[in-house]
Amino acid sequence: MAYSDKVIDHYKNPRNVGSMPKSDPQVGTGMVGAPECGDVMRLQIKVNPETQVIEDAKFKTFGCGSAIASSSLATEWVKGKTVEDALQIKNTDIVRELSLPPVKIHCSVLAEDAIKAAIGDWKRKRAESESQPEASTAAAQGD
Amino acid sequence: MQVSPSPSPACWSCHAATDGAHFCPACGKIQPLASADYFAFFGLPQRLQLDADDLERRYLSLSWKLHPDNFVRADQFERDLSLELSSQLNDAYRTLRDPVSRVEYLLARLGVRKEGQTRQQAPPELLEEVFELNESLEELHMAREAGGDGDETAELRRRLEEAGRGFEKKLADVDAELAAASRDLDAAMDGARDPLLARLNEILNRRSYIRNLVANVARELQEGEPA
Repeated sequence: MAYSDKVIDHYKNPRNVGSMPKSDPQVGTGMVGAPECGDVMRLQIKVNPETQVIEDAKFKTFGCGSAIASSSLATEWVKGKTVEDALQIKNTDIVRELSLPPVKIHCSVLAEDAIKAAIGDWKRKRAESESQPEASTAAAQGD
Repeated sequence: MQVSPSPSPACWSCHAATDGAHFCPACGKIQPLASADYFAFFGLPQRLQLDADDLERRYLSLSWKLHPDNFVRADQFERDLSLELSSQLNDAYRTLRDPVSRVEYLLARLGVRKEGQTRQQAPPELLEEVFELNESLEELHMAREAGGDGDETAELRRRLEEAGRGFEKKLADVDAELAAASRDLDAAMDGARDPLLARLNEILNRRSYIRNLVANVARELQEGEPA
């Protein structure tokens, strides 16, 4: 099966590979996996608490070229968006952009799930810090 | 969950009832595929526990009877049937012979497991663990590529071997779980099957991560073997 040029580009020059500190209250971490193939993907976002804009995004994916390209593209797309806008990204958008074949659609599903999981994690953290402001400040400093 | 195919098919040649057999009981002519079900192809019920020797005997006997060599003088229709059924036979045998692909097949057939549409997640702890071990694998790989210092690589290898053994143990455990759940499904009444099917699916999902890791660790350790 031939990969599209865009998949190959993201695979060879993945954008935003790396990690951010999980315990940072501004960082949301999404860890997801595809049971069909055993791929695992971690996507992290850093959100500006005032504007709710995603200022940075990092990923690391152990999987096939399409999974890497999907998550690389996802980090590019979420950067600069508000969390609410980022939640609107659909796996079908990724499929279209990368011209993924039907057998690789689950890779795009994985990337969409990773975005949602990262945002979910960030929202949970924020809710927790609002309910216990002192404890969370202490935890953040402890890092 | 009926094993027997559509109501009593009739022989294309003599019109006798074939009851889904590959050969007409009346005239002996080869018949079109009566059911797409792999279990039914071997005349077996849809049960996950099956006797491997019995399956092999059925396979050998059918491959002998369906073999295209037996049809060289038959007409085109029968020659085509022989090819089609022989190919189905091989697919069915390959799938049912292995206990894991047998479960995958049954779940896909019952619509429980849909390729590319699953959104069920593995337990987060397992994903974390899988992710971390993959990172260690990558570290070892890069250390070796860089021709890194012997002690460091040796230590990485040692850690990987240990982690690899841990995951081999997990693979054995998950296989045992799969076998137990397969037994439960075979024993269950119709109404009790759904939760067991969901459980089998969940076990298969976990298994695919563990299996990949065991394979990756083995490959990495093998590549790093001093020549």
